[in-house]
Amino acid sequence: MKKIFLLCGLIFLHALAASPQEKFRKSPPFPEPLQALRLPAIESVRLSNGLMVAVAYQKNLPFISLELVVLAGESSSPDKLPGLATFTAEMLSRGTPLISGSEMEERVESIGGSFSATTSLDYSRFSFLFLDEHLDQALELLSLMLLQPAFADKEIVNLKRTDYYDILQRQRDPEFIGRRQLLRILFKNHPYQKSLYNEDVIKNISRESILNFFEKYYRPNNSVLVLAGNLNLTTASRKVSHYLNMWPKQDVERPLPPPLEPNNSERVCYVDLPQAKDATLFIGNVIFPLADSDYFPFSVLNQVLGGTPNSRLFMNLRESREFAYYAFSEMELFRSGGVYLIRAKVIPSACFASVQEILQELSRMAKEKMSTFELEQAKSYLIGNFPLQVHRLDDLARRISEIAGFSLGEEHWNKFYENIMLVDLSRVSEVAVRYLLPRPVVIIVGDKNSLFDHLRDFEKLEIYDLKGVYRYTLTKGVEE
Amino acid sequence: MMPKRILGAWTFILLVQLIFSAAPDQEAGFPFPLAQYQLKNGLEVILSEDYSLPLVSVVLAYHVGSIHEQPGKTGLAYLVENMMFLGSLNIGPMQHISYINRIGGEPNASTTEDITYFYETVPSNQLALVLWLESDRMKTLEITSAKVEKVRQALLDEIAQRRAGDPYLESSLVFDRLLYHDFAHSHDILGREEDIRSVTAEDVKGFYTGYYVPNNAVLCIVGNIDSAKTKELVEKYFETIPPGKDIPLLPPPKLPEKKPLTQVFQESLAPAPAFHLGYRIAPPYSSDYYPLVILDYILMKGKSSRLFKRLIKKESLAFYLSGGIEKRKDAAAFKVFAMNNNNAMVDLCQKAVFSEINKLRTSYVSEAELEKAKNMFKKDYVNRFSTPLEKGLFLADTFFSPVSLENAPQELGKYLRITPFEIIGIINRYFTPENSILLNVKTR
Repeated sequence: MKKIFLLCGLIFLHALAASPQEKFRKSPPFPEPLQALRLPAIESVRLSNGLMVAVAYQKNLPFISLELVVLAGESSSPDKLPGLATFTAEMLSRGTPLISGSEMEERVESIGGSFSATTSLDYSRFSFLFLDEHLDQALELLSLMLLQPAFADKEIVNLKRTDYYDILQRQRDPEFIGRRQLLRILFKNHPYQKSLYNEDVIKNISRESILNFFEKYYRPNNSVLVLAGNLNLTTASRKVSHYLNMWPKQDVERPLPPPLEPNNSERVCYVDLPQAKDATLFIGNVIFPLADSDYFPFSVLNQVLGGTPNSRLFMNLRESREFAYYAFSEMELFRSGGVYLIRAKVIPSACFASVQEILQELSRMAKEKMSTFELEQAKSYLIGNFPLQVHRLDDLARRISEIAGFSLGEEHWNKFYENIMLVDLSRVSEVAVRYLLPRPVVIIVGDKNSLFDHLRDFEKLEIYDLKGVYRYTLTKGVEE
Repeated sequence: MMPKRILGAWTFILLVQLIFSAAPDQEAGFPFPLAQYQLKNGLEVILSEDYSLPLVSVVLAYHVGSIHEQPGKTGLAYLVENMMFLGSLNIGPMQHISYINRIGGEPNASTTEDITYFYETVPSNQLALVLWLESDRMKTLEITSAKVEKVRQALLDEIAQRRAGDPYLESSLVFDRLLYHDFAHSHDILGREEDIRSVTAEDVKGFYTGYYVPNNAVLCIVGNIDSAKTKELVEKYFETIPPGKDIPLLPPPKLPEKKPLTQVFQESLAPAPAFHLGYRIAPPYSSDYYPLVILDYILMKGKSSRLFKRLIKKESLAFYLSGGIEKRKDAAAFKVFAMNNNNAMVDLCQKAVFSEINKLRTSYVSEAELEKAKNMFKKDYVNRFSTPLEKGLFLADTFFSPVSLENAPQELGKYLRITPFEIIGIINRYFTPENSILLNVKTR
């Protein structure tokens, strides 16, 4: 009996397959109304030693994501010791006078944890993800790092070796070189320049300099601790206070670096990278700082320009002209300024044409209003993608630590949707004129053997080595 | 007339609220409710509600991968994965990605030895769009010679890039052929260059119509969804897709000869000498597999694992180390790959690996070390529930694995109950000379 039903079913389905397709398959369905975004509430408290503790409650996951942000990044490194902020942060988990670095690693892994340190221009961030049943052990480990770091000579030597080879390794990556060279030019003579150091500065770092940096900046009143997971503010502040109340506060001077100056002259720079198959382009200029209201219209602009494969740059350079493997734009924002940058990988013979296309796209963006359709599509992307930016526990904690550490407030959290919705064509035009009209800096990275012939079309080409040292200028392919 | 929902074409085979209990018993998996049912055309559907954010992830997984390819036709599974983005009857080339990107979503796909996944995470109000897109390419993928040519070039480029980026690629492919005994398990997912050059549109059509059919797939939808509405949508877009023929059963993996094997391979691009060491181990999810996984964490996982500590940190015998358990459907192996400064270091490094394995033959692992391994494993295991997409992928994997969804809540406990005694048992059963393969990589 069952078999007959099955046979009938199959005949029915095959008949359907042979018949013309259903109407609903011909065009995409309309979306349901957008659902409200209810982000976890951020609660915070300042402990007696000045440490700000923020908590975001997230149930259903047996993890806690802890983010400690110390408000000292590479811009705080002494002028003669670039790289010191990064090195100090990396040393923090490498042992106490009684516990070796290796044993610390073992203790972190014993609680199912992972620990990492990253340093940006303005801050150093420590990310600790662990199973929630081990909150006490995790905080105890953090307190050992903050209250009793050894900065042992043996560990310093090991880390110097690792960092040295890491930088050498990264210098084989054309994207790393291109971005670094662009920022070297945009950050020239600015404290942010210190973040763009070479491998040879590592040897100058001493235990004494690490200790001095640590003593000066690693203070609770200069830090923010964020915990995201299945816990509330009362529990979190009680436990954090128990383990970190001995962390002594001290006044920290943290002057705001001066504003960045945008470039406004025609500059095309070239860095030779032997054996690079393609040409990597980085084009960009200075924009606004982190907590600026231009963030929202510029986000929309960036989306239209080069945020995804549907954006203008990708569609033009890859899909239409077939010059590029990819072409995207993005922004990086810091305390006293930011940059927009366009990155593209193109075929060597299309290097000059690609640069011209990108410059024209920038000019078009600044001089012509985008269509309402483009505007709405970009806003739809940003609104739709926002929950994806915070849906992992560690991403959530990271976002909150930025909001708390830089006082970005509700504008970048619960009001994010609203702020994007409010962006209109005139606001986008305004920021496009302000930031895209000044001439950007162009960086080209590639192998001179395959690329040089294609660079003769540039009127002037500044040649730099891998260390960022200016070598000479080519005028129409001839050395000056 | 009966309400549509009752007449609806989907048939419940199983509608179970599997509650992965959050009870104090820490061995139980993790709280997440789900419902499973089957459409008339054989498509399995798993729904799981997660209201934390207005997002939904859709994972459409086909039970096909490189293991289903025939000699001379390797690379087909990965090729079809790429073809799936080049358009179907109602969706133009690359439009699938455009549709998802425009709404802020993230599309992707991946191929393993036995499963091909297509997945998207989008704002939850756009679920219908994803189902429209996925059902169209399941029903009416357009396969033309021109499209095959386009994908062929992309794959050949990818192989060239991989070869340029991995100077040990050739030796690892040779090693896999030594380690896995039959063609199905031993060949690479990317396929052989000569096979890709000769593949035709007919080959691709045959593979697509044979495996990318509703009765060989599971559709997992996880996120901020209304289950009743979602069932209606699934029915609308998928129910009328005709089933394919029965999927042929794969022969079981060939059992290898029990004898030690050592070979040398000259790798023309390798910057330093290296070696691949492998042990054939118990098949995935057999009773011996669970202690083997915990052993993997003791030996290889993390910076405090035995091999990492000794080879990299303490004795600097290797400057690069990777490996661990690799499963290929119903076969598994434990692999170690190390790069060394010179040939003398290769020798010392291998002796150190054997000495660490030998220590485990006779000495019990301490409670603290075992606990660390279990905690690390637990973190990785429950991390698979951290987003709707991770959950969807986990559900698809579990559905196609011998574990089954009903037994999934007990799985974590099986790993967490492993004793030091069991570790000694599996070391002596599987980490034996006659079960090992060693491939020394020489530089030119």
